[in-house]
Amino acid sequence: MTPTILVVALVAVAAISFDVFCLIDVKRGRVRYLSKRGWALVICVSNPWGGLAYLIFGKDRSGPPAPAPPLPDVPELPAAPHAAQRRRPADPMAIEVNRLTKRFGSVTAVDDLSFTVRPGTVTGFLGPNGAGKTTTLRVLLGLEAPTSGTALIGGRRYQEFVRPLHRVGSLLDATALPAGRAAWFHLLAVAQSNGIGERRVREVLELTGLESVAARRTGEFSLGMKQRLGIAAALLADPPVLLFDEPVNGLDPEGIRWIRLLLKAMAAEGRTIVISSHLMSEMAQTADHLIVIGRGRLLADISTAEFMSRARQDVLVQSPRAAELAGLLTAAGAAVSPEDGGLAVTGLGAGAIGDLAATYGIAVHQLITRHASLEEAYLDLTGASTDYRAATQAPGVPGTPGTPGTPVGTAVR
Amino acid sequence: MSAAQLQVAGGAGAAPAASAQSVPSRLVRARDVLACEWTKLRSLRSNRWTLAVAAVVTLALTTVVAQAFAASPAGGKHGAVMDRLATSFLAYAEYLVLPVTVLSVLVFTSEYGSGLIRTTFTAVPRRQAVLAAKAAVTGAAALVIGEIMAFACFFLTQAILTGRHGGLSLADPGTLRAVLAAGFVLAACAVTGVAVGAIIRHTAGAIAAALTAVCLLAVLCLALPAPWNLRIGRFTLPFAAYDVVAAHPPAGLLSPWLSLLVLIAWPAAALLAAAVVLTRRDV
Repeated sequence: MTPTILVVALVAVAAISFDVFCLIDVKRGRVRYLSKRGWALVICVSNPWGGLAYLIFGKDRSGPPAPAPPLPDVPELPAAPHAAQRRRPADPMAIEVNRLTKRFGSVTAVDDLSFTVRPGTVTGFLGPNGAGKTTTLRVLLGLEAPTSGTALIGGRRYQEFVRPLHRVGSLLDATALPAGRAAWFHLLAVAQSNGIGERRVREVLELTGLESVAARRTGEFSLGMKQRLGIAAALLADPPVLLFDEPVNGLDPEGIRWIRLLLKAMAAEGRTIVISSHLMSEMAQTADHLIVIGRGRLLADISTAEFMSRARQDVLVQSPRAAELAGLLTAAGAAVSPEDGGLAVTGLGAGAIGDLAATYGIAVHQLITRHASLEEAYLDLTGASTDYRAATQAPGVPGTPGTPGTPVGTAVR
Repeated sequence: MSAAQLQVAGGAGAAPAASAQSVPSRLVRARDVLACEWTKLRSLRSNRWTLAVAAVVTLALTTVVAQAFAASPAGGKHGAVMDRLATSFLAYAEYLVLPVTVLSVLVFTSEYGSGLIRTTFTAVPRRQAVLAAKAAVTGAAALVIGEIMAFACFFLTQAILTGRHGGLSLADPGTLRAVLAAGFVLAACAVTGVAVGAIIRHTAGAIAAALTAVCLLAVLCLALPAPWNLRIGRFTLPFAAYDVVAAHPPAGLLSPWLSLLVLIAWPAAALLAAAVVLTRRDV
């Protein structure tokens, strides 16, 4: 070979080597290949130190996402309580968070938080974005060390569990998946780390309806499929405790319903289930119990039913002699404000209003007891603790009725 | 799926749950984590392709280098710098060691980048066990690949040199040791890469740091004034590697056995640092 041919050959071989065929995706930390749909431009420059430097510009267009397989049916809820008793996991475990504080530098993410979660219920862990939900869950899972206080599952710290997936199944971030690995291998790796066999991996894939896409790389999955894969991983060892962070984020209504039914079925079997969310309306339909936090502090620890009953309520009255009735109602001690086509009355029940109207012979066309929506009740509770709430609104917010013993400061910037 | 089917699924899950009651031995737990990390390593298509391309390119360039060496006059410019043995591993050092080091860095940084590391540490809360398993699996894979490629590069080069200068055979003194050591160099760099990835967490920074340790540091040492370039440089990975693979290493380097110690000390120190920071940091 002449020197020229040698140099050309060397550059060509080097250029089609490692450097060009695989681009390290620095942002996501993985090697990715140029598919047929991608392109790359390689510029080879000699640098002052005598070597060659490659400048690579490229674009990789990944294939279309895998189509979502249909959701499997969720089993019916056990009809009778004794049926649930039979399926109760051997070792129900409660979650106890005691005076937990977690600071990141000068920011206090969780502030002296205490609560207990009992087995057999779906507990909603609720709070605005940045309230400290995820931090609390991470401390519970031993991923972050608490600044002070304890977070125990079944009376023990998470790090003390041998093969912890047999005790606690968790889903923190459904999008945290290895994009280049097939779903099957991802689940298999998680299973192997806790001594779980391939048979069970197949079972959870079937349970979440993912068996037909198990060979697909997780990077091709839609958000809903990623959520289902995360749930499959959490259910691998059939644990008595399940912790899900925002499990319905980004799901379609069918997917939300599927998760809701699944969680209820699991809770009916005596498991301890915690799901966090910043959406009250979703929690109202799924959770039996609510733990509401804001700015890292406990705002409420009550059952969903009680929370709903504590929400503001008023009565809408429609009457042809509205002005006359308003005067009578005010005299009887109610607060009345005119509304479209009627009066909004607080301080008197529908029965008392009806009686009053009958006594004075005033016809009433409509008498409707209205509950504030859960969303409104939730906003009332958390409004004062929302970081970015405007200063003028906070003092006027009807106040935090469900707060057991925990004062909520005028948390306004 | 009917209720009965879920019960079946749940019932099957109850078996491993029951086995968890009896605490598995340390050996069983170690085997679990090793199996998990091995599955992760082998299930990435990109790893396989990168290795295949790197192997082909290494062999191709080893041929080119051997041809060039054979064409140069014996004892001439090239002969003074490179010896017949070390020439076998010139392409190996660049086109196999560097890609494998980068892949090793990604073992941790890819999990940090995607957030998968939380799943990993939730499944295995003992973080040193995860570090040990990743280092062991990656190091073992690199050792196997390194030995295969080292022998391939050696035989290829010596076959080409046979015509001109007379090739070496494994029977020649120090040759077998050098070829085995060349394979070990790949494992040492891979384990260093894994540990650096665990320490730095971000892909770009970790790759830069790992390539500095595996390659650039030696280049920087060469720029130092005369006696100091080797006095300091001999403690870097490339010099130590050259020392153990050369038949006649230049004066000023450590003894081959001390250089082997240097090759062990780098990954060991990096692993130690990684073990300390992993336990102290939040994930």
